[in-house]
Amino acid sequence: MSVTDTSPLAKGSYEPVAWNFKLLAQHELQGFGGMGEGMSIQIAPDGRRILWLAHESAPKNFTGVDVSDPRKPKMVVQIDLPQAHMRSNSLEVTDNVMAVAYQTQKVGLKPAGFELFDISVPEKPKSIAFFDCSGPHSRGVHQLWFCDGEYIHLSAGAPDFTPTHPNDDQFYRIFDVRNITKPVEVGQWWLPGTRAGDSAPPPERHPKPLLDRGNRAHNTNVYPDRPDRCYLGYIDAGMFIMDISDKSKPKPISRWDNSPPYTGFTHTVLPLFDRNLLIVTDESTIDNAADWPKLIWILDARDEKHLMPIATCPLPSPEGYANRGGRFGAHNIHENTPRPTAWHSDQIVIGTFFNGGLRAYDISNPFQPKEVGTFIAPAPAMSACKSIQMNDVFVDEREIVYTVDRFSGGLYILEMDF
Amino acid sequence: MNSMLDLFPSRAAGPFGRRLKHARGERIPVTIVTGFLGAGKTTLVRRFLETPQGRGTAVVINEFGAIGIDDALVRASTDEVTLMGNGCLCCTTRSDLQITLRRLVSEREQGTLPPFSRILIETSGLADPGPILQTFATDRALGGEFFVEVVAAVIDASCGLATLDWSAEARKQVILADRLVISKPDLCAPEAIAQLTARLAALNGYAPIDAAIGGVLDPQCLIEAGPQGPQPHAGLIGEAGHSEGIVSFVLSEPQPLAWPPFERAMETLIALRGSDLLRVKGFLNVAGCRGPVLVQIVQHLAHPPLELASWPDADHSSRLVFITRNISQERVEAFLLAVRALAAEAPLNRVAERVNRR
Repeated sequence: MSVTDTSPLAKGSYEPVAWNFKLLAQHELQGFGGMGEGMSIQIAPDGRRILWLAHESAPKNFTGVDVSDPRKPKMVVQIDLPQAHMRSNSLEVTDNVMAVAYQTQKVGLKPAGFELFDISVPEKPKSIAFFDCSGPHSRGVHQLWFCDGEYIHLSAGAPDFTPTHPNDDQFYRIFDVRNITKPVEVGQWWLPGTRAGDSAPPPERHPKPLLDRGNRAHNTNVYPDRPDRCYLGYIDAGMFIMDISDKSKPKPISRWDNSPPYTGFTHTVLPLFDRNLLIVTDESTIDNAADWPKLIWILDARDEKHLMPIATCPLPSPEGYANRGGRFGAHNIHENTPRPTAWHSDQIVIGTFFNGGLRAYDISNPFQPKEVGTFIAPAPAMSACKSIQMNDVFVDEREIVYTVDRFSGGLYILEMDF
Repeated sequence: MNSMLDLFPSRAAGPFGRRLKHARGERIPVTIVTGFLGAGKTTLVRRFLETPQGRGTAVVINEFGAIGIDDALVRASTDEVTLMGNGCLCCTTRSDLQITLRRLVSEREQGTLPPFSRILIETSGLADPGPILQTFATDRALGGEFFVEVVAAVIDASCGLATLDWSAEARKQVILADRLVISKPDLCAPEAIAQLTARLAALNGYAPIDAAIGGVLDPQCLIEAGPQGPQPHAGLIGEAGHSEGIVSFVLSEPQPLAWPPFERAMETLIALRGSDLLRVKGFLNVAGCRGPVLVQIVQHLAHPPLELASWPDADHSSRLVFITRNISQERVEAFLLAVRALAAEAPLNRVAERVNRR
């Protein structure tokens, strides 16, 4: 039982794994299977269950897949982006309205903002509003959260926002969409020191070039359990719990930042309200595990002003993954999206780890998270990478797991068995 | 003392933690194939590995008296993985079994071994499976990561009856098994098979009995233990059947049980007579729990109880199989009843309160 020259490690190849997950179906989405981090489920007026997926990059905007029978997913629509220099990356569905984030490759380009679609007829998404966030220093919207039908919380630049560093262009913005065709901005917050003219000094930067990813917003999660709180990932500035009881004046309550000594890119903050825990993810952004370790962290949040890391979800050491190709490390998790079509669990955390696949953790003892399931798909055909790059995950209320590849594998539909 | 649920409460968890979809939970399933020398274990295992259900099985085998299974699914390091090579697995190599299984798992995680999904342990023909089961009985050993789904004992149709007469190990193998497999039935007269079957049923009233010609057996038999509780051929086994005084019986109870008195009673039973509790296994209907609670005891070792998300069928009665040495069903029943009666007169303790809150 030792590593020899015949070991799969030596070749950089690997064997697929399905431990306590059962693959029901894979759909390559007609050759456009490079998927981003927007996954949301709609029960259409005719009763079909449509999974909406954002694409990682051009030329596709979003794709709708009928997953009523998870063993036989059927693509119902796939929409092109208006421009090749942009990506959609993130989307959310509330009832029959879908919000889609648009981010451009460079600042100053258009369209950069978010668009709302009426998806009552899934085959024919109808644009009902667009909000422009473009500007000379803006790449538009990277990520958005739209779960209550009233407000969209997002990470975006703005026409009038001049960052003190070009990487710090996207901040936390809140839009009122109660009049769905006329979004109105109601509040914003940025890390003091990241906007030109701030009295605070600009924040320290992570090591250039690869680890300086910006002091900017990523996930902006808000839940009905605490409508006065936003759980905000802020990439190289760690994470914040925001008081949004007055949406016009979001105020930070607490901050937790693992970097340095870790390598930044705080991505998602998932609160488990009953348990007084936060699940915080990093994102791996550099190939070959060069930014290892990128982890899922468990924080004791009994006192929201004094957050205390108590554990991380265990990952295998990087030797077996670094030379598989692509990234290895944490990224997205299932976020207990406050919609009736999402699974809600405070016992299991499910995350995607690029070539580390999809992993489920039992956190019933939050001091000792325990891996209970692993799914590592074979390298998809036509991938730009020689390994799977699991990018995002969503679990519906039927406990069906949907996960996507970043390059070409498209959608994988799984059952949990633990 | 605060419990985990006091510190980090959850409406989703029960008093025994996360509710599992099945008794195995996330643990790696383990099949143990036992049986006397020459009974046909290796043939059975080989046939199993050829079936779809056998795919992804890591075979752990001891060489003593058995043919090594080369080219099993753990190809990359067959010799080291499958061949223990140092005597009786269940007696003198218990620590080696632990090391072997842990290394298998860690190398699987690193990708240096194929991603096997099941471990099959073929014991030495001379082995008493009791110590192996003990190894899997607690979290401190292997019970946190591995779950014994089936203990299958293979019995030779032609000489099995005679072996059972003279070998205490052979009897122990049959007594502790979840399933019994009669091998080579084609070589014997039906009367002899019937005689052997009757003897097996007398030794172990709860294990389904199957026959395998040339090792061909429904592969599910090495994956599923079969229904818990009394089987059609079951009957209470009298001590007359065993020189060792081993008996097996089922306690069942249709009403939900309070956990604290049961736990205390079992603690006492283990403390007083642990070495004579060869195996206790089954589901309890615990008051305040949504699903059945899995209880497993091997001698002095009790695995932490686990709650399942739901009952498999409409029968929600508690069913607990006891295999004991010189402890009668009447004694155990009387003892449990006495403890329950005493507990009923006492104020609820904290654990009971917590169970009942949920």
